[in-house]
Amino acid sequence: MKILVIDDAMVMRNIHKNILLDFGIPDTDLFEAPDGKQALQIATSTSIDLFLVDWNMPELSGLDFVKAIRAMGCYKETPIIMVTSEAARYNVLEAIEAGVTNYIVKPIKAGLLKEKLEKHVLWGGEK
Amino acid sequence: MKAQYINPFLTASVNLFRNYLGVECSSKAPYLNQDPQNLDEVTGIIGLAGETVGAVVLSFGRETAIGIASKMAEKKYTTLSNEVIDIVGELVNIVAGNAKKDLLEFRISISLPGVLVGGGSKIKWPASVPVITIPFDSELGPFSVNVSLKV
Repeated sequence: MKILVIDDAMVMRNIHKNILLDFGIPDTDLFEAPDGKQALQIATSTSIDLFLVDWNMPELSGLDFVKAIRAMGCYKETPIIMVTSEAARYNVLEAIEAGVTNYIVKPIKAGLLKEKLEKHVLWGGEK
Repeated sequence: MKAQYINPFLTASVNLFRNYLGVECSSKAPYLNQDPQNLDEVTGIIGLAGETVGAVVLSFGRETAIGIASKMAEKKYTTLSNEVIDIVGELVNIVAGNAKKDLLEFRISISLPGVLVGGGSKIKWPASVPVITIPFDSELGPFSVNVSLKV
């Protein structure tokens, strides 16, 4: 399962990647990008099975990334988990409208992210 | 500025530093900061826009910034590295983003965070908008949360 972690903060990318490594995802299946623009380039050249995406990033925001990726035929159903500090209800609704599968507000305990990820990484979807 | 506009930032800060990072800390009484350029050495800044203008600035001494970043990353930093600066930006991003949920009437959008190091750089506060400072004492040293919000 190829997973793309998108966050402009390196520490957050590392935290997410460490959790995924704990799941047994091989390092070679983990991809990362510091903004939506670079993430789109990776998603175009590599078939990604799950996206973890921040909202506020330079170049291309997480929200615009989600809209762009959903417009690509091959990623219409691919799980996208937004992990962001944006906690306002209208932000959550906007993200869902854009096509995110799940929404997590930072700061989060590793356990919560693991729980959300388990549904996709271990079970292949929401149960 | 009324407490109802400051409390969301206080709550978000306590949630981040005490509840999430496990840093023993306590806030002191907020006050109107007459000299908001005179902050600590490491400052994380984020702009607020929408139906208001404003800014949120977290300010730390060097050692406090390094200590808190070490907690966040669960690794030991000893210098003010790019990773530590990256984390300070993430901290102010979390405080501002979390506070939004209790300030819905302003439909706030937040900028990308910036981090300044040293006393030579000037913070661009919104003109004619007061700055309220919430001082914190913590096991890793004092820090402050500074909020300017046009209401």
